[in-house]
Amino acid sequence: MTRRTFARAAEIAAFLLPFAAFWVIFRAGPVLYGIFISLYRWDPLGENTFIALRNYLDLARDARFWNALVNTLEFAVLTVPLILGLGLAFAALVFSHRHRRAMRWVEAGLFFPYLLTVSIVALIWRWLLDPDFGIVLLLLRDAGLHPPVFLNEPRWVIPAIAFATAWWLAGYRMVLFRAAMEDIPDELYEAARLDGAGAWRIYFAITLPLLRPAILFALVLTTISGFIVFGQVLIMTGGGPGRASEVLALYMYRYGFEFLEMGRAAAVGVILFVIILGLTLVSFRWLGSEAEL
Amino acid sequence: MRLRHRGVIGVLAAAVALALLWLVPVLWMALTGVKPAPEIFALPPHWLPHAPTPAHVRTVLTTWPFPRWVVNSVIVAGVTTALSVVVSIPAAFAFARLRWRGRDALFLVFLSSLLIPLEVNAIPLYFLMNRLHLLNTYAAVFLPMIGMPIGVFLLRQFYLNIPFELDDAARVDGCGNLRIIWHVILPLSRPALAALVIYMFIFAWNEFFWSMIALQSPRMFTLPIGLRAMQGAYDIEYGIMMAGATLASLPALVVFLLLQRSIIRGIAMTAHR
Repeated sequence: MTRRTFARAAEIAAFLLPFAAFWVIFRAGPVLYGIFISLYRWDPLGENTFIALRNYLDLARDARFWNALVNTLEFAVLTVPLILGLGLAFAALVFSHRHRRAMRWVEAGLFFPYLLTVSIVALIWRWLLDPDFGIVLLLLRDAGLHPPVFLNEPRWVIPAIAFATAWWLAGYRMVLFRAAMEDIPDELYEAARLDGAGAWRIYFAITLPLLRPAILFALVLTTISGFIVFGQVLIMTGGGPGRASEVLALYMYRYGFEFLEMGRAAAVGVILFVIILGLTLVSFRWLGSEAEL
Repeated sequence: MRLRHRGVIGVLAAAVALALLWLVPVLWMALTGVKPAPEIFALPPHWLPHAPTPAHVRTVLTTWPFPRWVVNSVIVAGVTTALSVVVSIPAAFAFARLRWRGRDALFLVFLSSLLIPLEVNAIPLYFLMNRLHLLNTYAAVFLPMIGMPIGVFLLRQFYLNIPFELDDAARVDGCGNLRIIWHVILPLSRPALAALVIYMFIFAWNEFFWSMIALQSPRMFTLPIGLRAMQGAYDIEYGIMMAGATLASLPALVVFLLLQRSIIRGIAMTAHR
């Protein structure tokens, strides 16, 4: 290697090194370390014992784990259409109008919940859905309905948490979808209008198909964030009633930090990692790696 | 798709009504925070407090190190943002504007971790931070967030769209890569930097799962963790909970009122290629 190419290689390495160091030590490294931990029975007082795949086998036989997995899936399956549906509807509304100034305020209002941290969102909805004094239940009863006591009923608790989550995140999706809508060339709309297409027709025939990549990517991202739901559940229900809303992240937290079974908790982390990496790779295949966030 | 003439006012009214309805939960939180307990549990509910009281706010502020939590949150989010921007810029430059063997393969490796959330690493990170004696420090919270590939990804996308002739012209003038970054790339990529700053700050401000594990003493808590601790202590004392939640939303509200357009533009930017 000549001196010049060496200097150049050294420079490139120096550019990459700061980021790469953090990435290796605090992201990639822990994934491997987590696999390692998951192969041991971790004892807070004594020796750790190598038990190979026993933690995974134990998980496979643990009804509580399957319950958490099913709850997590239910949450993901419910939040994805809620967040994407509301996000798309809001974006269409905000983008559809000539009153740009007024619509900016509308957009700001719909977006604002995203800036609240998960604890605030969860506390607000816990109060709104309180079984005895929650305003949502009181209003529904006033309207002559017999609403379920959402947070106390196993069948309704996850949908309720999913709805609170959609309230929190739909505005964020709206902004991303609206930005994608702005990238659609105006000529397409003009042409459609000349052909006599109405607003709805245009939305379904032009806007939605051209948003496909943005929607698919949002689908993947929202699904992944559904898989790691934690704060909302912890604060709104603590996993209850019973274990009806215990999700994987909560299961992992409890086994790791309440029951001190770190090996098993790490195994849950590895399983989550595999699921999410799989989703990521499939989505890159599907969309090309240049898809937007 | 812009609607014309007919229905303009109707759509506008509906949109405004929707936005107001969407913010009712926030308003209800703030109102509950200043209601005396009997009014909170009054049936039928009092929409507006008849006798507003600062009692809950006072309880929050005197029982909990609330201002300290705000400071902690600002430090954690600020350091996360600053460091991730600083390490992402040269890496993104190397991926976007220098040609070297293995570049695209390495980028793909980083990229594949793009969507991997912090949560899956919680257990190994706990062991790692314990070994480094960093548990219960700010560093434990911000270190794992700095290596998030989103910054490199976002900046690289932007850098790819800056004309390469600019680099060549600067090289002819005898500039090295560092000076090209400083004098050419950075001035032209302000919107992308702003977007990254906004994205990272909000992300770090909201981080919950890992912070809850990493931070143990109340004085080190960030806002979300502090609120969670309060909830553990009061459970259904909604007046205090809502006063705390309202206080915790104030920073976001103030910043949003001041920077609303830049924040929304920054978030929207992350959607463009």
